[in-house]
Amino acid sequence: MAVTTRLTWLHEKILQNHLGGKRLSLLYKGSAHGFCNGVLLDRCCNQGPTLTVIYSEDHIIGAYAEESYQERKYASVILFALQETKISEWKLGLYTPETLFCYGVTKYNSPANFQIDVRNRKVITDLKTMENLGLAHKYTISIQDCEVFRCEDSLDERKIKGVIELRKSLLSALRTYEPYGSLVQQIRILLLGPIGAGKSSFFNSVRSIFQGHVTHQALVGTNTTGISEKYRTYSIRDGKNGKYLPFILCDSLGLSEKEGGLCRDDILYILNGNIRDRYQFNPMESIKLSHHDYIDSPLLKDRIHCVAFVFDASSIERFSSQMIVKIKRIRRELINAGVVHVALLTHVDSMDLITKGDLIEIERCVPVRSKLEEVQKKLGFALSDISVVSNYSSEWELDPVKDVLILSALRRMLWAADDFLEDLPLERTGNLREEIIKCAQGKK
Amino acid sequence: MEVTTRLTWNDENHLCKLLGNVSLSLLYKSSVHGGSIENMVERCSHQGCTITMTYIDDNMIVAFMLGNYINLHESSTEPNDSLWFSLQKKNDTTEIETLLLNTAPKIIDEQLVCRLSKKDIFILCRDNKIYLDKMITRNLKLRFYGYHQYLEREVFRVEGIKDNLDDTKRIMKAREHRNRLLADIRAYKPYADLVSEIRILLVGPIGSGKSSFFNSVKSIFHGHVTGQAIVGSDITSITERYRIYSVKDGKNGKSLPFMLCDTMGLVGAEGTGLCMDDIPHILKGCMADRYQFNSHKPITPEHSTFITSPSLKDRIHCVAYVLDINSIDNLSSKMLAKFKQVHKEVLNCGIAHVALLIKVDDCSEVLQDNFLNMSRSMTSQSQVMNVHKMLGIPISNILMVGNYASDLELDPIKDILILSALRQMLRAADDFLEDLPLEETGAIKRVLQPSI
Repeated sequence: MAVTTRLTWLHEKILQNHLGGKRLSLLYKGSAHGFCNGVLLDRCCNQGPTLTVIYSEDHIIGAYAEESYQERKYASVILFALQETKISEWKLGLYTPETLFCYGVTKYNSPANFQIDVRNRKVITDLKTMENLGLAHKYTISIQDCEVFRCEDSLDERKIKGVIELRKSLLSALRTYEPYGSLVQQIRILLLGPIGAGKSSFFNSVRSIFQGHVTHQALVGTNTTGISEKYRTYSIRDGKNGKYLPFILCDSLGLSEKEGGLCRDDILYILNGNIRDRYQFNPMESIKLSHHDYIDSPLLKDRIHCVAFVFDASSIERFSSQMIVKIKRIRRELINAGVVHVALLTHVDSMDLITKGDLIEIERCVPVRSKLEEVQKKLGFALSDISVVSNYSSEWELDPVKDVLILSALRRMLWAADDFLEDLPLERTGNLREEIIKCAQGKK
Repeated sequence: MEVTTRLTWNDENHLCKLLGNVSLSLLYKSSVHGGSIENMVERCSHQGCTITMTYIDDNMIVAFMLGNYINLHESSTEPNDSLWFSLQKKNDTTEIETLLLNTAPKIIDEQLVCRLSKKDIFILCRDNKIYLDKMITRNLKLRFYGYHQYLEREVFRVEGIKDNLDDTKRIMKAREHRNRLLADIRAYKPYADLVSEIRILLVGPIGSGKSSFFNSVKSIFHGHVTGQAIVGSDITSITERYRIYSVKDGKNGKSLPFMLCDTMGLVGAEGTGLCMDDIPHILKGCMADRYQFNSHKPITPEHSTFITSPSLKDRIHCVAYVLDINSIDNLSSKMLAKFKQVHKEVLNCGIAHVALLIKVDDCSEVLQDNFLNMSRSMTSQSQVMNVHKMLGIPISNILMVGNYASDLELDPIKDILILSALRQMLRAADDFLEDLPLEETGAIKRVLQPSI
């Protein structure tokens, strides 16, 4: 018999969130370990905070004890009733495990408002408790199955320590990253996406990590007009006076489904490296070749090496058909131009049910997975090319869990850029290699 | 006392990945739940698959994984499978060694004892002492043997696999086999050194997974899922240029001894997809990398990149017919006709060929348990028989793979299928090279000799 919980993902999530972000670890399951009160206690005493879940015909009852169950010691018990997605709570009070689980001498004698008797597969209760939980008035509830979980903090000290280590190794990988074949010194990543998707916020978040505190160099707009009207190419220093990191984030005007927004030809000019930093976009027409911000013959180092499409996770479903057509068309043009691209899903922590504690294993979260599949289906991205992040917006201080997501996304972009550089036609890289060699020899 | 594991989060993740994306649930911790073996067994029996960790010191863990603790109480002497691990911290990394033993621990005199041919090889005593035989420590690369004091014991339930160890064993063996295949392919040299790289041509209907196959191969050699060749998921083909991809062994590694040549997809209707008259030119090696396909017009010798006198190294040495396994049984008659036409050209040139069936649902079903051959249930499938009949390809050269399309992590079983397919292609290419008329290879040898 498999020892896996009967809780659906949704129910487990609702309980976890209700308990303030706990991870549930299954200790006992009646149908696997036997409906015996002694067995239940043997397995579940001294396990820290626990949640007992009772499955009845049409609802779930939970009993949460904040302290470990210990022989003949009182623990304060809180009851929950979960009907569909509605949860209600009632503080039951102090109980010994023997009373709560009808074990040994205290059997049915002590006055109790709520007792779980797994041996007889029933819960004995009074009407008042049922009423407080918003359940139908009944004296007994039959138990289909009973499970006991240990509740662990989803972000305990041990995990935070691990995340900090992971963050350290990602940081060192990014600091020491060298573009493929040393063809360029810095990888240029273009952030593209609808207005307000979080392009500038992503840059700010990356910069914040390397600065050591949350910064807002790029102005961020939350209204529908978007704030980035200038083309900006941001080099990032490693620390306040540190040296430049091996990548440049290029922030553009947002895409708009109607008129306005970044125009199509400008995208191509940006890709080629024709547009200078701080060029003022004109949503009505593309850059003029005579414009002083137009670069005539850009080099490999000036062009974009990787495009990152930035999407707000909460708006994927609501993309208009015009927006989808627009993005698909840009994607098609990128493909024709041989430019690699990845996708970035922002604001994942503001999705329904998702809490900060979920960020540590965000890709395992069912709603996030379905978002990823949505992006794959609607826009044609491969799942392995989609990263999930939560940008810094209201925080003052950095959070290692967020950092790990942001840095992993950045690493994926650099991998993609390597693919691009490796795939360049030989004649273009060949010339460059010669130039590099010449330069190197010149220096000697 | 808090019930939290001593295992670091990174080691836990590392181990979970190694065991095939499982998760661990702590059931027992000796410092909290009592140190006797009886205490441990009470909490851990009937919990499905478990892993028992013994923390020797802060940097060393010895662990074993059992299908179920239930066997501990039985007096039967029937051996059972168990998987053994050592985790050792060295500098900043944790090294994990594994060992598969056909023996399971039993409780004897309140000790947990493991015997192999009547010899005690492992004993867990109650006073925080552990005994490890030389055989175990040697295999797990531990620096001690005999009795040793330990800090603590913990038992976890392993979630996300079936209740027995078979799945995990398979993943372990798969990893070993994958590493062997990787080594084979890295060390491969084309027959008689006639060429330095084998050129494999991928042809097949639009969206069948040609470019994805290249991406999958590259992903394996780079150690993470990559998408150099951009892949289409819509009906229109993404690949409009002829591409000759070389794969490097890691980012800055050297090139591997094969190249994958990616073509535009075939379409049933005339005037769309790959132009049929391009095929002989591709096979002979006249088409250069990045040639822009034109569905209406084949390449001509007048084209600026046309290679007029291709040598043996420019030619295609093996053709892989790429097909979506789910659509084989309902290929249109026009598509079939095109396929036959391609096949005729391939036969004319005498080039080796294999079929590559992509989008296999369950990759773990394809091979036999030892990964050496395809399983009978797969080779007897109607799709395989159909391809066999349609193109006359021997069944052993009808290869089945699952591409990396929707995965975030590499999977050793998928890797094995892809690498095995690649190896079969290289073997087929060798046959082709060996079979070349002497005047062709002879001429090349003569050209080569002066330089030697």
